[in-house]
Amino acid sequence: MKKHSKTIVLFLSLLLMSCQEEGVLTQRRPVGADLTPNALLRYQANFTTTDFISGAGKVAIYLDEGRYKLKLVDYTIQEGPDLKVYLSQSDVPNNFINLGNLEPSQIYLIPENVSFSTYNYVLIHCQQYNHLFAHGQLIPQP
Amino acid sequence: MRVYLIVICFVCCVFNLKAQGCSDAGVCTVNSLNSKEEDIFKNTLAYSVSYGKGEADVFYVAHFLAYTKQWNPQLSFTAKVTLSTAKGSFGTRTQFGDAFLVGNYLFKTKKKSQWGTILGLKFPFTASNLKINGYSLPLDYQSSLGTIDGFFGGNWRYKNWNVEGIVQVPFVNLNKNSYFSEYSGTTDFPSTNLFQRQPDALLKVGYRYTITPQKFSLNPSLLAVYHLGEDSYTNIFNQQVALEGSSGLTVNGVINGVYSFQKNQQIEFTLATPFAVRDVRPDGLTRSLVVALQYNYSF
Repeated sequence: MKKHSKTIVLFLSLLLMSCQEEGVLTQRRPVGADLTPNALLRYQANFTTTDFISGAGKVAIYLDEGRYKLKLVDYTIQEGPDLKVYLSQSDVPNNFINLGNLEPSQIYLIPENVSFSTYNYVLIHCQQYNHLFAHGQLIPQP
Repeated sequence: MRVYLIVICFVCCVFNLKAQGCSDAGVCTVNSLNSKEEDIFKNTLAYSVSYGKGEADVFYVAHFLAYTKQWNPQLSFTAKVTLSTAKGSFGTRTQFGDAFLVGNYLFKTKKKSQWGTILGLKFPFTASNLKINGYSLPLDYQSSLGTIDGFFGGNWRYKNWNVEGIVQVPFVNLNKNSYFSEYSGTTDFPSTNLFQRQPDALLKVGYRYTITPQKFSLNPSLLAVYHLGEDSYTNIFNQQVALEGSSGLTVNGVINGVYSFQKNQQIEFTLATPFAVRDVRPDGLTRSLVVALQYNYSF
């Protein structure tokens, strides 16, 4: 009987483990926005990575059809789990606006009425493990 | 024995079944593992597969594997592991859900009346932040709520009536969900970024009809789950916001049938549907229908 029970447990365990699956995303990926040819560059920042994080990148903020939009430029900072793009009041994630998951090719639509004199940093932050990957201070463009 | 298992597994694969519960966070199925004083076997293995219809177009196939050790006629312990697949317009996500450790103690029967107690813990296998291709998913697609829960309760059996009351309290929140409805392109599911869940209180009243003595019984029951507070999440401005309407009562109708085809082997089927649900259901636990099949093997 004990022999039977071990076989059953092994069989069912294998059955359960074989079932783990990350399928294919079938929802339309909601790309934040597009940039029109009339978009004006208003702010820019160079990312500084934190300890043990490699890579580089820039961020550009455009005013486009009355809305501010954020774009990552030449972004090569190393990947990590659960990375987010924050618009922050400082170079640490205390007071910030979460713009969503990091997707280097995405154009991020910034919420209305955000003051860049207050939110003057862009952060790349791992939310799940609360680890800052990079920060950059926004500099107004002429 | 193996033939029965193969048949069950074949059915599971062919129909791609899965399920999770009936508007609760796990205790709904735990108490079905309660031992009975007349049980004579020391060990029981149970495997369950169920199909559930959730919010929007999401449906579920859930499995659990449980082992119960009967130390004596009064005391038993159960360990249970769940696995769930959610499928909907976001895609398909399968993952282990939670591990349960449950202790049951039954007092001696007196005048056809018996009391019992239940005490347990639930440990999540995930932080409730499963994604598909880097895309954050709502809790409806997560296999666990990402909380360590404790639950305790009591059970009273009188003749064929059975009443159970259980409180489930999340006391460690490991939930790291990062779903924002405003970034998702759909309003089917509320934002649940860094979700914080409140406790539940569960009351179940059932009656056991014996159709064929020692063979087949039917157990219809009413299951009420009261969510004891508003859940909350962290919005895009890093502020914690209550999800208004997420507290309140869910009432389910459950019918459970048990067929013993050998002294040590049983098949159970369960059909459950809610009659009343909360206004807002961010936890993704609500099912409009659950159909479950369970096999018990004692030795």
